[in-house]
Amino acid sequence: MADKSNDPVALWQNMVGEMEKGFNAFANQAMASPQFSKVVNQVGGATAGAQKQLGDLMEKYLVSMNLPSRSQMVSMAERLQSIEGQLNEIKALLHQVHSNSITSEGGHAGAPKPPRTKRPPSADGEQK
Amino acid sequence: MNATPGIDLAAIPERIQSEVQRAIQRSIKGVEYLSSSGPSLGSTPKDILHVRGTMNLYHYRPVADEIYRIPILIVMATTNRGYILDLVPGQSFIEFLLKRGYDVYMLDWAAPKPEEKSLRMEDYVLDFIPDCVRQVQRDSGETDVTVIGYCFGGVLSLLYGSIFPDGPMKNLICFTTPVDFREMKLFQNFADRRYFDVDHLIDSVGNVPPEMILSSFEMLRPASRAASQVQLWENIWNDEYVKSYRMFDRWATDTLPLAGEYFRTITRDLMWDNKLYNDEMSVGGRKADISKIKVPILHAVAEHDHIVPYDAAKPLIPKIGSADKQEVILKGGHVSLVAGANAIKRLWPKLDSWLGERSI
Repeated sequence: MADKSNDPVALWQNMVGEMEKGFNAFANQAMASPQFSKVVNQVGGATAGAQKQLGDLMEKYLVSMNLPSRSQMVSMAERLQSIEGQLNEIKALLHQVHSNSITSEGGHAGAPKPPRTKRPPSADGEQK
Repeated sequence: MNATPGIDLAAIPERIQSEVQRAIQRSIKGVEYLSSSGPSLGSTPKDILHVRGTMNLYHYRPVADEIYRIPILIVMATTNRGYILDLVPGQSFIEFLLKRGYDVYMLDWAAPKPEEKSLRMEDYVLDFIPDCVRQVQRDSGETDVTVIGYCFGGVLSLLYGSIFPDGPMKNLICFTTPVDFREMKLFQNFADRRYFDVDHLIDSVGNVPPEMILSSFEMLRPASRAASQVQLWENIWNDEYVKSYRMFDRWATDTLPLAGEYFRTITRDLMWDNKLYNDEMSVGGRKADISKIKVPILHAVAEHDHIVPYDAAKPLIPKIGSADKQEVILKGGHVSLVAGANAIKRLWPKLDSWLGERSI
């Protein structure tokens, strides 16, 4: 069996692993500083702010072009979601009625569910 | 023949040949990798029992001839998809539970839509979970339910259990569930209240974008993505390695957005004020004190969890009110604890032996 300490592939893999650990540890230390938090949140805050301003501007532009804005589309989506929800309820109800009718006829969907009688192996000495 | 100590010269030609073969395989498999879509995940047969907005309730079809009386409801973390618990046959926690005779339901989350930005913590704890529990009761015909919560799904389950301590939750299992949020040190620093303006963020973006969630997870180990890609290239000749890499990579990058108001509460109440740990948490005006939970509880934590460090998860068992309580510390990380090779060998059998006798 080849000695791993002299195997260039194993050495390379080990080096990658060590570099990963070292860099992660170093970065974690840097990221634990308040300065890091301050900079990241300033950048993040500015990005979010710019995103909002751009959104507002686009909204005005779309209104002037007589096109639906995002908020109008969102309100449409809300209505659609409510309709979707009601459809799902109807579907679930139909599914339930269908299952009940098949159960009474003894069909496949009404195949009996397994009995809830299982005991743990320790209770009767063997795995059921 | 060993001319130099430690170097087996006779093995060198063989090693070179093996490396050349692997290099050829890498090129062939590399093309295959780029042109294929990876294994199909979450394929254990299931029925959608209930869908409402971001909430999906699945029922997995039982496979055993006889099942335990008490059904299981798994509550997934709101940041990630539930298929981490149902990767592929042979590496699926769900499949394991079904084969061991459990009746399994899962509350999985879809990405909240922009119009769902106003979902609050109370929608999750006082509406979605109780709604799913009722559906499970109706479908199974049983009153009692075992709840299993993964990561933040565990936090939601704890909040639910502390507000409804008289049932119907019969047993609680938490995987890597944080309680002391001060100990999530890097997340604490990212969310430092002196610099992080959560209101500005939520008011600007509505829902927290999944890219932001993913970046915050990846920032915990910034070199790991690059290193994992180097390792992938080295092992691309190995089909099993590639399959496993693709499964975990796909799941890890398939992050969900978080509803804005919900995220605001997480930041203010948990990250900043640490209310769960300080026994000051309330949801929708109802006190959520985890010492009120009296049901049997098992908490599984990972020794090398970089997302929920052990110190953040450790206070759960001491703080909970149950007499029948147990913590299991296993080797591994946040994900490998529940879905890796160690999970198959250690966590799943341990969970089965603990839960089986409490499911009758």
